[in-house]
Amino acid sequence: MTFLLQTTLLARRRILETLRQPIWVFMGLSVPLMYLALFAPLLKPLAGGPGFPGGSVLDVFVPGILALMAFGSGMGAGWIVIGELESGVIERLRVTPASRLALVLGTILRDVLMFVVPAVLVLVVATPFGFHPHWAGLAILLGLLALLTAACSAASAALGITLKQIGSLAAVVTGLQLPLTLLAGVLLPLSLGPGWLQGLAHVNPMYYAVEAARDLAAGNLASATVAEGFGVMGAAALLAIWWSTRAYRRAMA
Amino acid sequence: MRRRIGYVGQRGGADIEATGRENLVLQGRLYGMGRHETERRADELIELLDLGSFCRRIARTYSGGQRRRLEVALGIVHRPDVLFLDEPTLGLDPQNRANLWDQLRRLRDTGTTVLLTTHYLDEADQLSDRVAIIDHGLVVAEGPPEDLRGRYPAGVTITPRPGFADLATVTAELGREPLVREARIDGETIRVDLDSATTGMAAIFDLLRARGVEVQGVSLREPSLDDVFLHETGRSLRDAGPAATEAIAS
Repeated sequence: MTFLLQTTLLARRRILETLRQPIWVFMGLSVPLMYLALFAPLLKPLAGGPGFPGGSVLDVFVPGILALMAFGSGMGAGWIVIGELESGVIERLRVTPASRLALVLGTILRDVLMFVVPAVLVLVVATPFGFHPHWAGLAILLGLLALLTAACSAASAALGITLKQIGSLAAVVTGLQLPLTLLAGVLLPLSLGPGWLQGLAHVNPMYYAVEAARDLAAGNLASATVAEGFGVMGAAALLAIWWSTRAYRRAMA
Repeated sequence: MRRRIGYVGQRGGADIEATGRENLVLQGRLYGMGRHETERRADELIELLDLGSFCRRIARTYSGGQRRRLEVALGIVHRPDVLFLDEPTLGLDPQNRANLWDQLRRLRDTGTTVLLTTHYLDEADQLSDRVAIIDHGLVVAEGPPEDLRGRYPAGVTITPRPGFADLATVTAELGREPLVREARIDGETIRVDLDSATTGMAAIFDLLRARGVEVQGVSLREPSLDDVFLHETGRSLRDAGPAATEAIAS
């Protein structure tokens, strides 16, 4: 009970923090729409070709964009945590009886919310342009990608606490972003690539999330790919939360 | 244990994107206080630390002194028996420093034991009932500040009217006074080290008058904790090593 209350209080603190930075909200909503407006047209000529079976390119493209949003929404956590290490906020919170896990979860809940709201907006905007929504599948898809956000958020916070320097964190995150997202087939399906690239993708946890997301968006709710996606993302989220909680416990500015 | 101690670090850690009041309420609730109790306590602290004029503004807009007061309030939301403060007035201007001192005294008067570390020895002297001087992790002096200072002489510098010939005789006689530790000539002046400024001064003036010495000026320097510190650690203040002063106000 205390733990739930602490998590709620800390999530509320995070959400207020976000809402008070109008620029965060604005960018969070506008970037995904820019992808839709500026990148999707590049794919138009590929419709019907390999990697884009039947229908609209948006049906393949939108789940990828959602996965990218889930990734990006979580990865911001580390920056905030480094600021809080420097200003003594982490130290102060660590002196209170608040659970370390509640500290981690409070941030995750905000990041999930900051993923889900723009994601729904993207789905609503994409539909009149030829995206075929399968709403039940999409609801489960948001749940799956929320796990991705949770994993990224917890990992980013843990990295922030461990590295302590904005510069180092930026180097690690941007260094990871390209291989992780490219090898997940976020923007272009990996079936377009050579066999070795597809093989390499299988060591990337995010690949399973994106594959499962495409299945869910297409309405294949009970596929093995979906089960695999949930399995991998669930494990990744648990591992990252454990790592982050441990980092909070040992945090020294 | 966590509920019995309060701690305010050097970087106090207020949420700068929240208002002062929101900071206080969240802190109270994280300590397990109920909603209404926390609201009441927040109002109490706003009163105690004089946060009223700014507590509904976002903390990012606070001055250094305002933020520091909020952070001290955060440290005592849950009414700890002991409050630890790490260099509470670092970087504050003299006025804000004096204000915070007043508030810390008020806190002490309400029964909280305050343990603060500081590099400002006048701060330790002003606030503390007991002071410990720590050098390289070892306590080198400990006790009430008056006692610590009392171990060192007060220095009096007497400037006789120019042309007064017999400095040497008077200085020697001053040196024989019971409360005088040492008297010496320094150029045109006489320097006297006294055990106690209050009682020693009278004896000096009596003697000077009896010998017909016309005095042009007198200055008195009472021993400060700086003297205690310099003597006990055997180092210069400028060479800021890992020495710290711990002050306890209870």
